[in-house]
Amino acid sequence: MTDLKALDELLRAEDGDAGCDAGTPIMDQYVEIELRGGDPGEQFPGTVIHLRVCPGCRADHDGVLEATRRFSEIDLE
Amino acid sequence: MSRLHDILRRAALHELHRRRGQLPDLAGPELEDVAQQCADDALVSILARLDDFKGLSRFTTWAYKFAIFEVSSKLARHAWQRHPPSREELELSELPDRLTPRPGEELERREQLTALRHAIESDLTPRQREVFVATALNDVPIDVLALELDTNRNAIYKNLFDARRRLRQSLAAAGHPVTEEKEAGT
Repeated sequence: MTDLKALDELLRAEDGDAGCDAGTPIMDQYVEIELRGGDPGEQFPGTVIHLRVCPGCRADHDGVLEATRRFSEIDLE
Repeated sequence: MSRLHDILRRAALHELHRRRGQLPDLAGPELEDVAQQCADDALVSILARLDDFKGLSRFTTWAYKFAIFEVSSKLARHAWQRHPPSREELELSELPDRLTPRPGEELERREQLTALRHAIESDLTPRQREVFVATALNDVPIDVLALELDTNRNAIYKNLFDARRRLRQSLAAAGHPVTEEKEAGT
């Protein structure tokens, strides 16, 4: 990474970022769209932007995605 | 109910292993204990919010979400209790090595970083400065900082977002825009 890219990353603040709270209630829907091969950006564009920037929410997203993928054969319904 | 608790515990344990780099001294029976606590608390949250489940995803996916959020929360609390941010991590000292100009680097770059440092010191609110210095410059995890400042992730993120916006504006106003493309809005 060049220094200018490092600075650009350091100050990344994109228009349309939905923030952390917006992703909490929809994270399950978001990962299922991904697992079906769809584009979550069509329904949740602000969360797509947010997950590019927020490491905390990205880690949560990755965890829900991983759990759903790994344990998807278990169904309580 | 016990089956739901069991899959929550399995998901929590798997997630704790996935994030073990965040807290390498958490292992063995203590890790199992934390997974159990995550499953307990996730189950309580799920039962309290059953009316919120609208069938927009599979029930299990919706339920895993609570287990993962509990892991996130408990890991942050463990990290904060064992390694709380130091005073130095919350106060501006040197810019990180990845930004520091190297000998011979062009004058404009050096001036840009001088302007950045000035903007951090002068243009941010005290809270924005504290959050930006801790999370962006010193890599304090956002959830650990939220615990240290007795707030939540979303509030910290909003401070960080506003700080970044303000610093970009300050650099542009000082004649040192970071990238014109980004300012155009993507």
